[in-house]
Amino acid sequence: MACEAMRGGGIIYAHPSHHDSDSTTHMTRGTSTTIESPPLTSNRWIGAPAQRWASHNLSRNPFGELTRQERIELAVVDVQAVAQFISQPRRAYQFIGECGRGKTTRMLAITRHIPDATYAYLPEDEPCPPIAAGSVVMIDEAQRMPRRIRQAVFASGLPLVLATHRNLSGPLRRAGYTVQTERIGLQLSDSLLQQILNQRIHASRRDTEASVPEISLADCRALIRRFGTDVRAMESYLYDIVQQQVNSHGKMRFIDHLG
Amino acid sequence: MAKCDLSITLDEPSGVYPGGGKITGTVKVHADADVKCKGLDVQSVWKTHGRGNVASGTVETVTLFTGQWTAGQSEEYRFELPIAEWPPSYHGNYLNIDHYIEARAKIPWAFDPKASVEFLMQPTCGPEIADAQASVSAKMGMIGWIFTSMIVFMVFGAILAGCAGFFVAGAQNPFIFFIVGGIVTFIGGFIAMKYYLPKFLLGEVHCELKSIRVSPGEQVNGELKLQPRKNVPINGVTMKFVGKEVCISGSGSNRTTHSNTFYETETVLEPAGVLKPGVAKHFPLSVPLPGDVPYSIDLNDNDIKWSVEVRVDIPRWPDWSKSFDITVVPSGKQAVATTPTRTETTVSPPADDESGLTFAETASHIWSSKDDKEQVEMLVDAVNGLNFDIEAFVERRLLYSGEDDPHVYKDGYAVWARYTDPPLPMVLYVPHDLADEFEQAGRDVWSGRGTVVGWDSRHRRLQVKLLSSTSAFPG
Repeated sequence: MACEAMRGGGIIYAHPSHHDSDSTTHMTRGTSTTIESPPLTSNRWIGAPAQRWASHNLSRNPFGELTRQERIELAVVDVQAVAQFISQPRRAYQFIGECGRGKTTRMLAITRHIPDATYAYLPEDEPCPPIAAGSVVMIDEAQRMPRRIRQAVFASGLPLVLATHRNLSGPLRRAGYTVQTERIGLQLSDSLLQQILNQRIHASRRDTEASVPEISLADCRALIRRFGTDVRAMESYLYDIVQQQVNSHGKMRFIDHLG
Repeated sequence: MAKCDLSITLDEPSGVYPGGGKITGTVKVHADADVKCKGLDVQSVWKTHGRGNVASGTVETVTLFTGQWTAGQSEEYRFELPIAEWPPSYHGNYLNIDHYIEARAKIPWAFDPKASVEFLMQPTCGPEIADAQASVSAKMGMIGWIFTSMIVFMVFGAILAGCAGFFVAGAQNPFIFFIVGGIVTFIGGFIAMKYYLPKFLLGEVHCELKSIRVSPGEQVNGELKLQPRKNVPINGVTMKFVGKEVCISGSGSNRTTHSNTFYETETVLEPAGVLKPGVAKHFPLSVPLPGDVPYSIDLNDNDIKWSVEVRVDIPRWPDWSKSFDITVVPSGKQAVATTPTRTETTVSPPADDESGLTFAETASHIWSSKDDKEQVEMLVDAVNGLNFDIEAFVERRLLYSGEDDPHVYKDGYAVWARYTDPPLPMVLYVPHDLADEFEQAGRDVWSGRGTVVGWDSRHRRLQVKLLSSTSAFPG
């Protein structure tokens, strides 16, 4: 019955990449090959998606995009001290660092401690979005705040958490704020990275009783050697690795191709 | 530790379920301790995972049980839930779409136990889905035409103003003529390279497809006609069929587009050789699409796109090429009605305030379409400018309400709020004379009158401009 339901097309498994040795002739870039499609009722096409993740006890690629709530739940950061610092008015805490180092993750994690905090992301080359009041106001890419809006926000006196590429302590102090600054990404230990990445893998686990492939400390050392402290770049790299290896029947190896 | 365990068993665990149908199964509960359950909810949902920002939708939620479980008690609860008609299950490289049955027991003062099981869904709809989308597009067409006209008018005005400024500045400093002349020559050269040089050799080229909508297993048909003006050596005439996953992750400056070509085939219409002058060439375009390819999908930041590109490859000369976007739709062999969200949420635009349409109805329609951006914008457009009696929970005041927001009253401010039922998020623009009333309302329910003025697509909020206390209840 299931096979009958598949007639006429519908659920398919698009083979992921050139690297997949099991792939069909669909990837024929630059040739005049005529595509020969597999049988429509092939069980391989129906079952493959579920099987490939299930065989590694995963429900999805652990390094894909997450919802905001998932990011909050999976953040491996200690923001207790930040939450303590900004518990009073006219206090501002700055995260300064390059992209992909965890500024936004830290801000989202603060909402675990302060649910009433508000968060606004200021996009590049676009109008400034609304900034809502809250017991703590968090502003991502705060260096993009136009002066007029910055003055309005600083005049509120509400506790602030800013993620910024530029030190804003001068204007903050002039507005009467006590400022504390933390520079992000200067150090990322092997063990912390292992915790961050394995947390994501465990969150994608299908059966909580069964084991999942894990990233070792040696893997993390290799990742740091290649990507420095850019965790986002590591996750992007690992997404492709998992996608390639999930079709294999062997053990998943995360750094096989890492130079 | 949870006080009870949940598990879900589907009646046909390995089945492929038809979209729009029903799915049945059992939720099993085993309590480790005495548990008071505020609601055992089970819902049918779909969700994307992969490279793109997550998109999801809930089809229906039902509460199976409310009450007390005692330690050691095991219970089973049957459920029957509708399945979404769209999007279909799909598993690719950057994009995956899965359908799930999720169960959750709401336990006071404890973690809510959850269970989830996925199932495969094949759409049973025919091309009606695409038709529905086309009708939405048609309704949006007039708005789009007006918008386009305004842009053309503004661009034309800007060009005129620029020309005037250019001559005034050039009269004062002739060097400006050289700079602008160089830029214009560069742009003109590029356009000539791209569009006119191929035509110089090939003459007028006509290329069209009979239909840009095709189902898996069908053929894309069309024709390419050309009549060269002189001897034209070519590397070939080709037609390329491409299927891509296009996913966007992040937002703003962190926005990254990931593109994965999962299907590509090239048909050689004419091999390398020479096209004779004055001899008309007709190339029938006909490419079969395999029967198992995925449909075109547009889920905000998660798309499956199909295109056909026809190219005349001319050595040492710019190529002539034309690209068509193709929509791959279900074959309609088991055609049924379109998606419920589209059919149930169609609202006839009321003519005026006396239409009898309440805000509760409006909010309900918008809420049920909240995952469909186009549908929501069409609904909001239909009720734009109408006054309603509104009840809202005030959530928080805005320190800054947006630079491009023309609705803020002078000396007024904006608040984020949500409607009582359904909890539709709103932006309320508060006039100065209602400020005190809002301060006193705190986070309680506020009642008053307001005009729908738009939709904040970024934050998915209905924009309502409140009428001041003097005009709220005239008479």
